[in-house]
Amino acid sequence: MRQLHFQPIAGKTPDILDAILRTPEVASIGREAKIIRLVCEELVVNVVDYAYPDCEDGYLDVNIDKDDKAITIQLKDGGVPFNPLEREMPDTTIPLKERRIGGLGIFITIKKMDDVKYEYVNNENVLTIKKNLSNEE
Amino acid sequence: MENQFEVKQDGAILSIVLGNELTTVNAPQLMDELNKYRDKGIEKVVFDASKLTYIASSGVRVIVFAKQKLGGDPVIEFVNCQKDIYDIFELIGVQDYIEFVEK
Repeated sequence: MRQLHFQPIAGKTPDILDAILRTPEVASIGREAKIIRLVCEELVVNVVDYAYPDCEDGYLDVNIDKDDKAITIQLKDGGVPFNPLEREMPDTTIPLKERRIGGLGIFITIKKMDDVKYEYVNNENVLTIKKNLSNEE
Repeated sequence: MENQFEVKQDGAILSIVLGNELTTVNAPQLMDELNKYRDKGIEKVVFDASKLTYIASSGVRVIVFAKQKLGGDPVIEFVNCQKDIYDIFELIGVQDYIEFVEK
């Protein structure tokens, strides 16, 4: 398993995302690479921007596990407890002019990943995503 | 520089040439730029996506912003939209509010 530790994380979204994308596990993904990037960007932004409202020294741990069939990425932070899966999902059926503008990132995550789990364990938010891989370019 | 965008107004048409990517880094900058054209009589917003290969949800929010907040319910046009980008629009259910044009 690949383990990455980031601290502090304030203002570091591009660096953190870059480090995740450069791991051999993520860099070797074929057809699903773009959607994995998109989902990672959404989840990292959520932690960096919202997990530590009163703390400059917050951390983010990222664990990545990949085999022939799937990639699993786990994000852990010690910030305020927040279950993104309980967030109200945007209603994509109402006219665009009337829609709320937030919640698209987690909506995409739930729709495009094969499994998404949230736990609050040992004072940490633990979000785990899994994507089955087609192993096609 | 490859992710920079250009915004130009020609009468009631606002044209935006997008770079390779619309990410959480540059999408807020584009949002700020578009905010300058609020209530300026914009009837059509044309996004040239010929170079665009990646869009984050913050990029989609820019397009929703253009439709909701510029005033006057402008037409949103996307020029040369790649399939990966269209798939994201479709997932979020905004594709019916965008006119897709190939040039």
